[in-house]
Amino acid sequence: MIGFDAILGSFAAAFHYESIAVILGGVLLGYIVGVIPGLNRAVAIAIAIPLTFYMSAYAAIAFLIGLSKGTAAGSAVSAILLNTPGEPSSAATCLDGYPMASSGKPRKALKVGLLASVIGDLLATLLLIAVAIPFASVALKFGPYELAAILVFALVFIAGMAGGSFLKGLAAGGMGIVLGTVGLDPETGAMRLTFGYAELMEGVPILPLVIGTLALAEMFVQLDEYRRNKGASVIKLGHQADDDLSYREFKTTLPTIFRSTGVGAFVGALPGLGPSVGAFMAYGLAKRGDKDPESFGKGNPKGIAAAESADNAVIPASYIPLFGLGIPGSVSAALLVGAFMIHGIQVGPLMLRDHPEMLFTLFSGMIVASLLMLAVGWYGLRIFAKVTSVPPHIVIPVVIFLCLAGIQVQGYGTFGLITVFVFALFGYFLKKFDYSFVTFLVAFIVTPMLEMNLRQSIILSGGEIGILLERPIALVFVIATLLMALHLGWSGWRHRARRRATTNHAD
Amino acid sequence: MTRKNFWSGLGVSAVALLLLTWVIPTYGGGGFSFGLPPQLLATLGAWLMLACALALTLVSAIVLRRDGEPFIALPGLDHLWHQTWPFLYVLAFIVLIDRFPLTWVAPALIAGLLLILGERRWHVVALTAALPTAGLYGLTAHLMRIGVV
Repeated sequence: MIGFDAILGSFAAAFHYESIAVILGGVLLGYIVGVIPGLNRAVAIAIAIPLTFYMSAYAAIAFLIGLSKGTAAGSAVSAILLNTPGEPSSAATCLDGYPMASSGKPRKALKVGLLASVIGDLLATLLLIAVAIPFASVALKFGPYELAAILVFALVFIAGMAGGSFLKGLAAGGMGIVLGTVGLDPETGAMRLTFGYAELMEGVPILPLVIGTLALAEMFVQLDEYRRNKGASVIKLGHQADDDLSYREFKTTLPTIFRSTGVGAFVGALPGLGPSVGAFMAYGLAKRGDKDPESFGKGNPKGIAAAESADNAVIPASYIPLFGLGIPGSVSAALLVGAFMIHGIQVGPLMLRDHPEMLFTLFSGMIVASLLMLAVGWYGLRIFAKVTSVPPHIVIPVVIFLCLAGIQVQGYGTFGLITVFVFALFGYFLKKFDYSFVTFLVAFIVTPMLEMNLRQSIILSGGEIGILLERPIALVFVIATLLMALHLGWSGWRHRARRRATTNHAD
Repeated sequence: MTRKNFWSGLGVSAVALLLLTWVIPTYGGGGFSFGLPPQLLATLGAWLMLACALALTLVSAIVLRRDGEPFIALPGLDHLWHQTWPFLYVLAFIVLIDRFPLTWVAPALIAGLLLILGERRWHVVALTAALPTAGLYGLTAHLMRIGVV
């Protein structure tokens, strides 16, 4: 276990100017990406991973975490000034942000959004640090039975909670499992589903998969949408006297920010729910709990504060299952696992044992990122407001180029380019037909871990399923998985029946 | 959405069937193992796909039939073309990148797409095409100098 001096040392490393420069780069890039409508966090991380190949492991992960946090804060700018959320999770910010900006107070709206984002993010980061380490210490005591049961439970949970149809979520999980088994079988050394390609021996390369399914597929979707929705008007920042945030006004939003951070952190800690659920849930609660709910949707600063603090609290909280159990609960967490893998680090409870300094330096880097978010957002307000007017027809070709360049620079060659194209087709299918992408990606990432734990469990038990009765934690998760699957199936059926009854009634 | 669910369910079921009957048995690997046979997890994944996709198809078919909606509604050729051309465009450039360096092809890739999307200001086209290419050129030159590429 790491000592207090080492923890202090980790903090000192995170506050070193080189480290700050890397995180600042990530936050700045994330902010710009978040501000540009159509580019989202997943796209940004996917095309930034190749840039991190030549960084140290810590610098790479800190850069990506900074990027992830920056996009969450930056997306509020386009939501407020353009009524177009940079991220789907900022849609709740549009509800009050745009009306407030339209009424001549864009600067005030942006500052409320920024402060709420930073407070939400910082508090959730502190929660992550407080919870993940004890969580990981307990998880280190788990054996293969428990880990296999928890992984299956997490997959079913994510499939059910990621939104859309439970059946489609599970089917996407099945696709991820099949793709996750490609490559050399660790026990027999047999080639699995490689079709004779040596490039697939170590599994489907994560970079072409991520760039294809997330970034390139998203650009194809954007091209389709651009045809239908050209041009939107941007609200410019002016010099109105009453368009600034006073401390008294900010103070009135603080209780909402704290409550919504709690909601966001809770939602983030549950794998699969994502920031959109957190933001809308916090917005709904703030509206219901307010003395004047009618003012929501018409430019109430509490509406912006609720949505933004919850949205930003989800990101650090979603790393709790990642660092605690090794289970990525969101797309960005799954992408971080990919980045960790590229740098030869196994993320999860083992990090606490094998790389504790790295873990603590990352946590301190997250706090640095939160503080940098405030500085970047506060002083860059005017510049970011201008970035919102970059039209999508300029962004799309550049991002497509970056996708192909990322693959080429990494030396994947023609095989990589074809792979990225095939996965772009696959990602386009998932998006268009609303199959849960997060379930697919998480299943793909955790399959090797699931396979290893299942194999060890079978060998240790001699194929005897009754051993589960001697492993109460594993048994609890197996039963919980079955109950959850039944509950999700049943509630889906009831939801459809209710909708049918409503339609018949309306007819 | 119901029709989309029906057809996507059917498509996923077909892929899962192909995986279960041909791909996994032929290319899934073999050999003696103590614990988990090499094909087991992939087979379970494919069964999961098949079961869920079949259930989705069945449920969607029942809803479509009850609502009296047609199972087939072909999209217009114009719509189909708008969905297809970006893929063909990128594929054509992948073929070009296979034959020429990316730094040569990149300006054409970016400028071509800008022109297709309606940008007519030459300085915007030129700068948008040149800047990322110059960045890539600089990065490649740097990586070659430090011996990575």
